[in-house]
This record gives sequence, structure tokens and C-alpha cells, in this order.
Amino acid sequence: MNAGQQTTRRVAARAGQSICRSCRNTPRTYATAAAAAPTPEHALGQHIPPVAHSSPSPSYAVNAGVLLSRPPQITRDLHPFEAAFFLYQKRLNERLALPFTRYFYFKARTPADREWKRKMAQRLTPARDIGRYKGYGEEAWNDEVLVGAKESELQWQVDRLLEDAETTGAEEDSGVAAAAANAAKDEREAFERPPGRETEADRTNDTRSLARALQRTLYLLVKNKEGRWEFPQDRLRDENLHGAAQRIITASGGPNMNTWLVGHVPIGHFQHTYSAPITTSTGLSEQGSKTFFLKARIMAGQANLKDNKLGLQDFKWLHKDELKSAVDGDYWRQIKNMLAER
Amino acid sequence: MALRELPYRTATALCRDARPTVSAIQPLFRRNASTDAAPEVESTSFLDAPAKPEEAVKDFDPIARSRARRRGKKQLPPSRYQYREPKYYRGPLHPHQPLPVSDPASRRFQPGPFGLPRLDQTYQSTIAQDILAMTYQHYPPGYRAPKVEQRLREWQGESPYYKGRPLRGPRGKGEVLRLLQEPRTFRNIPKITKVVVHSMVPEAMQDSANMHVAGMILQAITNVRVESHKAKHNVVGWGLREGRYVSVTATLEREDASHFLEKLIDVVLPRIKEWKGVPGSSGDGHGNISFGLTPDQLALFPEIEVNYDAYPPKMIPGCHITIITDATSNKDARLLTQAIGLPFYGKLND
Repeated sequence: MNAGQQTTRRVAARAGQSICRSCRNTPRTYATAAAAAPTPEHALGQHIPPVAHSSPSPSYAVNAGVLLSRPPQITRDLHPFEAAFFLYQKRLNERLALPFTRYFYFKARTPADREWKRKMAQRLTPARDIGRYKGYGEEAWNDEVLVGAKESELQWQVDRLLEDAETTGAEEDSGVAAAAANAAKDEREAFERPPGRETEADRTNDTRSLARALQRTLYLLVKNKEGRWEFPQDRLRDENLHGAAQRIITASGGPNMNTWLVGHVPIGHFQHTYSAPITTSTGLSEQGSKTFFLKARIMAGQANLKDNKLGLQDFKWLHKDELKSAVDGDYWRQIKNMLAER
Repeated sequence: MALRELPYRTATALCRDARPTVSAIQPLFRRNASTDAAPEVESTSFLDAPAKPEEAVKDFDPIARSRARRRGKKQLPPSRYQYREPKYYRGPLHPHQPLPVSDPASRRFQPGPFGLPRLDQTYQSTIAQDILAMTYQHYPPGYRAPKVEQRLREWQGESPYYKGRPLRGPRGKGEVLRLLQEPRTFRNIPKITKVVVHSMVPEAMQDSANMHVAGMILQAITNVRVESHKAKHNVVGWGLREGRYVSVTATLEREDASHFLEKLIDVVLPRIKEWKGVPGSSGDGHGNISFGLTPDQLALFPEIEVNYDAYPPKMIPGCHITIITDATSNKDARLLTQAIGLPFYGKLND
């Protein structure tokens, strides 16, 4: 590409948008780039916009807010497609993996070995959570589950693992072998069943409880003096933001919360404009307020508004979807991007 | 070419504003073939596919159907009509080409992933955003980071061979170019990329059984094939002989790495008596954290414990675990490993 073409292209580009984008944005070759006038050095240097304005700007009250959250406690529910895909991959692995080395794990002619053989005869595969499927042989192609099958569901898989731990595989048999197996069953160590993924608070919809919506991040939402739901916040005094955040946590939720302030920088802000400017004691007229939110995590304990110093009336632990309907539209618009999706 | 076109192009560009407004409205009334077809396209997902009749679902038995179809008929010999991947790659011009790795018929195919590990979910939902909030550095709008000058040294001298020669590394023996510390954004939050489990068994030079046991143990706890390594040099003090196999490593990625770390942090490390934590001096300055486990501690892995008798007790090795992150400093790597639950003790290495 020579200089003449470049000039033409530039003229044409100035004339209108009639050149296609790929032609217009072609990177220039080194030769033409060198020929172009060098950018002045001061343009590349540091440019920090001036902070002080000569004209009086509208002033805002500065508030500190706390986004106190409880992180997810358990894994999320899988989408049915994900669950089906994972089951498919597990069955594929049964077909492709080397056979299970039985005698490395079970000595021949021991009770454990007999139990293994009984269970293998029932489920046909070493894996305990993929259902009845045989990865080798003539019919290994039959790896798809039928309509309405439960094999891909997490709860079904957990139940099979528990069943494997508490049964001997000889329950339906009769005779000496079954009697011996059932005698050995009593000597097994007892284990605890895992608690459910839904809690009592979920069923009763107790939004004050922290043991609810275990798969989601919960945020502390409080009802302020005016009866509006928002995150705990207070006016900034002679202190820095994270000092104010610590104060607000104690002043609103009481001392019975083990919290951790994540970082010392705000993760979002909310700007509110008053209907009429307010004149403060120092003579400034405030147009509105700006609230800067700091992130905190609750590790243990629970909020208690009994003698809070901010005049709060009520509190809730809500996740993002519930927050949307609980707060004002303008508030939601400004805070939604600092909340975790899950 | 462009020069010849210029008058026409300029003219059209200049005349565009004078064109009648009909051309601007035109797209609204234009009808494409796809306009009619759009309502025809189904928006359903695989979940709400039309339900099959009840008895058809109940009676469907793929195995019985297949047997009925094959009854009395001889199937064609399968081997002749199935594609088998060549064992060796014979170059791009050979007619018999290997399959892509993603094809289940390929010899190199690895099934997976088999699930969504808890550690990955915690990282995405909690750890990543906390690290971002903790390490975020604010710059005022319009700030441009100072330009990083050339960190490598020029070749100075009269020799004409210095022209065009690659630049020299930093001065000093064993010095390497340190990583650049980029300002933290949502794109460069440190994450765990790999875990390497390494076990050195110098006794393997006398008895190779040590090597086999070490390999078996590492494979059992990591779920990946191990790789064995030879000694690179003779070291008289350690009795090392060059070229002898002395160590095994397992390199874990993705799901394997997450499962291994979960197991290590939640099952094994809490059961170690008086474990102080990862030494604070750990870290190579490039985002990698290492620590070691003794043979007694390695035996606490559930996979070893379930058939501890199968391994000769004297031959159980210790191991080193290296957590490889894409952090660019010890501090960030430590922040990440602490967030997943590894405590550090002693003087920290910054």
C-alpha cells in the first residue's frame, strides 16, 4: 500500500462512510507508520484531570453503607442438561477406562470380596452412582437412560452411595451366606446422613434466618426510620470509610455477629437527589446524598436490632432475586451490579 | 483503483443527505424471507419436547429391540467396517489420519468433565470477587500507567554480531526477569491453573519397587497417570547417579486439581496431628506455592487408607505439592491459597 493510496483512503473516509470497515481499519504498514508525524510526547504523558473547580459545585452528603453478605454454603443445583451430560460422561468413562483392579482392594475369599461380587452382580459396574450399566461387552452401547429415569439426578446418586454404604448386597438372598453377611452388617461403623439441601427456614420462608437459600448469597437488608428497605448505612463522620463500616455493622446488627470486612475500598455507590436542597449547619446546601458501600461477610452469629443506634425497625436476609422486589426501583438500578449472581 | 473511484464515492457521500426520505424508511417496510419463517422457528428447549405416549415410553426396551432385530440374522463383521485410528501419526500427507482428540473413538480421547467441583463453584461465587475487592487499586479517570521501559539489557560493544542479537537477561547468576505486576481488573484475578504432586524416591536406585509404590500412591490420590523422571546429574553427596529413575510427578488440571485440593484441605490436612500450616517462606515469586507431606501424612489420604495393607509400609514416600496459580506475586498467590483454606505460618516471603 503506497502513500497515494493512503491519502485517497483518508480523503474518502472523510467524505463519508462509504468504505467498508475492514478497509478503513486495516493496520498501516511500518513504512507508512514511520512516515506519519510522531505524536507529541506530552500527549502520551500523565493526564490527571483537575479536581478543584473554580465555580461552586453542588454538594452531597457522604454516607457509608455496608453490604453484609453470607456466601453460598452448598453447591448449586445442576441444570438438567448439565446433569445429563455429566452422567453421559461417567458412563463413557466406564466404557473407556481400564477394568477395576479388584484384588488390589479386596483379598480373595474375604467377606469384603464376597460383598463386592454380590454388588457387582446387581449393578454390573464398579461405579456406584451411574445406575445399572455395563461398560464392556455386546450391549455396552446401551448407555442412554430412558425417559423419566432418575439416574442423572444428584439426590438419586447420593442415595445410591448411602445405600451402598449401609447394605451388604445380600438382603434379598436367604441361607447361610445372607445370614453371615447380615451378621457382618452390624459391625459396620455408623455414619450420619447428610442434611437436606432445603432447610426448615426455606419451607417456612423465614427471611430472618441465615440458614435459608443455602445455594445463594444472602444480603442483610434493613428497614430504616422512614420505613424504606435498604442496606445498613449512616452518615460519614470524622473517620475513614472502613472505620465507618465497622461502626455501622456494630451499630445496626449488634455485637453478636462475627464479620469480616472484605477490602477497604467501596464496591458500589448509590446517589440520591433530594426533592429540595437542604442547608446544613455549616452553611452548605446539599443537593442529595451519595452512599458508598463496603463489602463484608458474616461468618457466624445473627443480626439483632434490639438496641441499634440507627433507628432500624426490621431486617431480612435476601438473595439477589428477592432484593429486586424488596427495594425501590431507583435503588435497585444503582445497586444491582454489585450483587453476586449466585 | 481507489483513485479512479474517488469522484463517484465522494459524490455519493455528499449527495447522501439530499436523498429522499423514502430510502430511510425503507427498512421498516422491507420483508425478508426470514420474516415469515421467524414464527415457525421453535423456541422450545429439549426439556419441554412433546411427551411421548405413556405406553410407548413404558414398553420401550432398547436391548430387546436390538435382539429382536438381530434374531436369525448374521451381523456384518464389525471390524472391517469400523474406522480405527492409526496407532502412529505418519504425517499430514498420509491417507490414514488420526481423529480429533474430542472424538470418543480417538485413542487420545479422555472423557470428562464428570461434575462441577465444589471448589470451582466457591471460587466463582465467592473467592474471585473477594480477591478483586481486596486487591483493587483505584486510579483516577484519565490515568495512564507509566510506560514500562525495556527491562532487558542491550549488548554493548563494537562487535558487529551484537546487531539484531536477542537482548540479555538480568545481571547475576540465577536471576530471572520478574513478572510484571498488572493493575488488578476483573480479567486478571488469580486462579489455580494446575497442581503438581511430586515425589522423589532416591531409594529407587537400589530397588525399583520404591518407584512403583510411589507411582501407585500418587496415581491413587491424584487420579492421573504419573510421569517418572531420571536424575539429571551425579550428586555424590546424595548418592544420585545420572540417568537413573528417581522421581515421579503427577500434573493435575481442571477437575482433577479441584478434587485433589478439596480432599487435601477438607479431609487430609485437618487430620494431621500438630500441622502448623504451609511455611510462609514458600512461594517462588511467580505465583507458585509449594509444601510437603511426610509419608505418615500421605497415608491419611482416604484412597491410601482404604487399602493401606496393600502398600509395603516402608516404601510409602513423602511428596511435594505445588499449587500453580496465575498470580504474579507471592502475596497474591498466598491470598488465593488462603482463601481456599490453606493456612500459612512463620515469616512470610514477599
